[in-house]
Amino acid sequence: MSVYAVEGLSLSLNGAQLLEGVSFAIDKGGCTALVGASGSGKTMSCFAPFGLAPGTPTGSARLEGAEMIGLAEPALRPIRARAGFVFQQPLTALTPHLTIGSQLAEAAGTRDRSALAAMLDRCGLPEAKLDQYPHRLSGGERQRALIACATAHDPALLVADEPTSALDAGLRHAILDLLDRFRERGMGLLLVSHDLPLVAKHADRVVVLDGGKVIEDGRAADVLERPQHATTRALIAASPRLDSPAPLLPEPGAPLLSASGINVRFGKLAAVSGASFDLREGEALALVGRSGSGKSSLARAVARLGPCDSGTVTWRGDPLPPRSRMRAEHRRCLQPVFQDPAASLDPHWTVQQSVEEPLRHLFPDLASEARAERAAAALDEVELGSAYAKRRPATLSGGQAQRVAIARALVADPELILLDEATSALDVLVAGRILDLLGKLQASRRLAILAITHDLAVARALCHRTAVMDAGRIVETGDTAATIAAPQSQALRDLVSAS
Amino acid sequence: MLAILLRRLATALPTLLAVILLSFVLMRTAPGSPFDSERPLDAATRAAMDRTYGLDQPLIVQLGRYLGNVLQGDFGPSLVYKDFTVSGLIAQGLPVSLTLGGLALILAAALGIAGGILGALRPGGWLDRWIGFKSAVAVALPSFVTGPLLVLVFGLWLSWLPVSGLDSAAAWILPVLALATPTAGAVAKLTRTGLAEAMVQDHVRTARARGLSPLTVLVRHALPPALIPVVSYLGPAAAGLLTGAVVIETVFGLPGLGRYFVQGALNRDYPLVLGVVILYAGLILLFNLIADLLYGLLDPRARG
Repeated sequence: MSVYAVEGLSLSLNGAQLLEGVSFAIDKGGCTALVGASGSGKTMSCFAPFGLAPGTPTGSARLEGAEMIGLAEPALRPIRARAGFVFQQPLTALTPHLTIGSQLAEAAGTRDRSALAAMLDRCGLPEAKLDQYPHRLSGGERQRALIACATAHDPALLVADEPTSALDAGLRHAILDLLDRFRERGMGLLLVSHDLPLVAKHADRVVVLDGGKVIEDGRAADVLERPQHATTRALIAASPRLDSPAPLLPEPGAPLLSASGINVRFGKLAAVSGASFDLREGEALALVGRSGSGKSSLARAVARLGPCDSGTVTWRGDPLPPRSRMRAEHRRCLQPVFQDPAASLDPHWTVQQSVEEPLRHLFPDLASEARAERAAAALDEVELGSAYAKRRPATLSGGQAQRVAIARALVADPELILLDEATSALDVLVAGRILDLLGKLQASRRLAILAITHDLAVARALCHRTAVMDAGRIVETGDTAATIAAPQSQALRDLVSAS
Repeated sequence: MLAILLRRLATALPTLLAVILLSFVLMRTAPGSPFDSERPLDAATRAAMDRTYGLDQPLIVQLGRYLGNVLQGDFGPSLVYKDFTVSGLIAQGLPVSLTLGGLALILAAALGIAGGILGALRPGGWLDRWIGFKSAVAVALPSFVTGPLLVLVFGLWLSWLPVSGLDSAAAWILPVLALATPTAGAVAKLTRTGLAEAMVQDHVRTARARGLSPLTVLVRHALPPALIPVVSYLGPAAAGLLTGAVVIETVFGLPGLGRYFVQGALNRDYPLVLGVVILYAGLILLFNLIADLLYGLLDPRARG
């Protein structure tokens, strides 16, 4: 007996057919996973029937037998209240000006403190969090709080849209285990994810979407082990795996960058304590560790993009000046690519303007034709081409926007690029292609890379060496494959077992 | 919260002092004197007048003495309104201005925020567009147009309300309305824009997904962050409303502070202008402090 059944769900918006005849069902206590590349209609399929996505869907969607399609908002609201929702971004999904307790009370319909504390407790949060505001909680804690709110009224169905993709690997299984415990109480789970290993472990049915249509549907084990459709096979192939063969990396050359005794403090918190590492020409080093271990603070301190309280950094043997005294010739050597491409590109600028911007500042003598030429060359190098030059970020997909960000980093001809979780915000297919591109650039330009990541697969795909960070210190450094094969530190053992 | 309060107070006092110094020096470097009139005074009388008011002393001595007196709460005598002290003049005008400005502030905030919310309930609907149009008109119309217009319609044609003076409580209605109109329009626009931004935030979607009514979602989840720009705007605007709306006071013949400000400056009545400036600066600092405290209420992250 299914809790939730969708049949022939279609949705078009501004003339574009977003969903076409999507059907799936979830049993009581079951978990159905929707998988597919970005833009395949996973999120729309989840939210459209509940009136939480733009557009008016057609077809049928019944929650505990109650039809939702065609209902107006006031009639839809009580049915929607029989479901709970968990969203992708725990940072923004909670109301910032209300305490966890008051949001939970709103969801639960009770103000009884011991009842609310019990709801937090079953999500692994202590009672004290009731009185805190969301910004005081870590990403994992917020996601637990969001799950507590979504399950407070014992919903028949929980809709979870990429509930773990903004979290680091160690937390992912913990969150899914938590959701599994709710399923034991009879709640159905509709899970959207591009993390196939996670889906394989937790879902009992898998529905593969492509271009708004269901292309494959079946028991999770069947679909993932014997995929029938080419797109499904591509999704599975793109899933980074620790047992895939090591890539061929370029041979490192002369010493390039050396950081020693780096300390970064934020008030009382020591974000980085006494960290040191070296990097040679064409060499790639991965800084891995869980969220909050200090990887980003260390990389930004070394690249002179963030504060650095003490320690020295040398570039080809010469000391690199502090952040405030970095000049164009220093900045040219080292360019960053950040996690969220949509946020790191100015929405008002065209792609070409964004890519030209570093040239404007780092090579002020360059004529505008020469700038345009180099920007076009950089766009070619990231396989976008001149057709994209006049577009603005809002019209680009996540992968395209990240390619623009990479082109912007390359245009100044740096010898080292800093990748700050450069693939974490992208879905697995797109992330795989971006990793391929970075691998090609690494070989063709002999580009040195400092890659910050919580994803060991990224380290394996690109990096000669890996440094593991824990609580602001580098606890382990070594050849990537060997280090991952035989982790010495607890921090790395945790990361390996979570991957 | 207390730390923010103390930090703000620590910066407010030097700011106030700087304002006093600057206005003191500016007033004195401007040409003219409080004793200039159609018929020039003879030199001896003029010297005697200067001596009486201490204007013959070096500027630095005058400044020192003025600051000393201000610290004791004495703003000096008015040089033009003979037999009145500055404190006395302010004490006469301030209650009128505070009542007028306070009522206008409350009306503007209430009308503006309510208008912004009504518009945001159905974005793009007829009510939204109508309120948007109304607030644009309200902002664009200067009070020397709305004031006389209100007098003409409600005072002269319809004879519903008194035209000027303060003989009855009803006399407040027209000036408060005229003063509140532009501020209400600006608040409505800011609220509406803030809500439009807030309504597409993730946390608002979470609230909607929770099955809350549209009004609860709007007021409880979307409104507080949307009000932050409104508070930024209302802080300084409130100080302006409270310290005398020159035009409105003139149009409606209200004995408020505004006219002292203008006449004091025109007549080079140094103590009067300085007194009003200190009051104005103090109110601005006070309202910015209140705005800072409200930020903390609207966004817990601002509490530090």
